[in-house]
Amino acid sequence: MKSYIRNVFLCAGLLGAVASAAMIHGVSIARAAEEKTAPSIAIDNFSFTPKELTVAAGTTITWVNRDDVPHTVVSTDKKFKSKALDTDDQFSFTFTDTGTYNYFCSVHPIMVGKIIVK
Amino acid sequence: MKGFLGTPASFGADLNLIVQVVMGLALIAGALLARAKRYAAHGVCMTTVLFLNLVPIGVVMWPSFEQLVLPRLATHLQKRYYMVAAIHGVLGAAAELLGLLILLVAGTNILPETWRFSRWKLWMRVELALWMSALLSGIGIYVVWYTALWRQ
Ligand code: HEM
Ligand SMILES: [Cu+2]
Repeated sequence: MKSYIRNVFLCAGLLGAVASAAMIHGVSIARAAEEKTAPSIAIDNFSFTPKELTVAAGTTITWVNRDDVPHTVVSTDKKFKSKALDTDDQFSFTFTDTGTYNYFCSVHPIMVGKIIVK
Repeated sequence: MKGFLGTPASFGADLNLIVQVVMGLALIAGALLARAKRYAAHGVCMTTVLFLNLVPIGVVMWPSFEQLVLPRLATHLQKRYYMVAAIHGVLGAAAELLGLLILLVAGTNILPETWRFSRWKLWMRVELALWMSALLSGIGIYVVWYTALWRQ
């Protein structure tokens, strides 16, 4: 009887482990697909992450402010300019032309980033 | 353009901070001139600062207020970031306006008789106190916005 109960627990444990592995795998696949279609840049702790991003022409990039103070996303060459983004606000821009786009935050000019469009 | 005080602030914000502190000291010096009964020098000193301050208000503070604070003032007032800016905006605007009113009353005949007041000394003291509280709350903005000292 004791070993029967132990086997049931073992089986349940194994099933659970397999199920979790499958779920984690599925989520990571979904994540990867998401990243391919809509790259996003997080604004957090007074910096852009990733700081540098290379994308194909025609890609739309979204910046999301995860910080608790407002930030902006402003192109050095005046190609794009967001309004002030508060916590969880977003800004998107579609890069149709190839080239290098340097940008910064106008409230905190030490915050800089770069988009390379190939 | 990057600032020069070692915080994430812009050049404009850093310069504004320095200029405001210097102008605050100039106003205290101007008040001492009045105490020493050097009224002409007092008038020139106060008037100069009052008008000079329209430049940083127009170039740094109002644009910043309009872009960063106004759009979210109603909904985000509980955040220290907006609260300190709202208090400062009110104090700063009051200080600048009362200053201009005192100048019109004390230095010109432009305003109608009913608008004038005679207890200049009292009003000027109120104005100096108001200005100093605007200055202190402005320094408060700088600390909350650009340093980790008092962040929520
Ligand atoms: C007697 C008048 C005033 C004094 C002494 C004063 C003083 C200051 C000081 C010392 C700062 C910190 C430096 C900085 O962060 O730039 C500041 C910032 C600021 N002030 Fe004033 N101020 C006055 C009037 C005003 C008015 C009328 C407004 C607008 C409604 C205003 C809005 C702001 C804003 C939004 C900032 C933050 C600017 C930024 O850093 O981007 N101030 N002020
Ligand atoms: Cu920023």
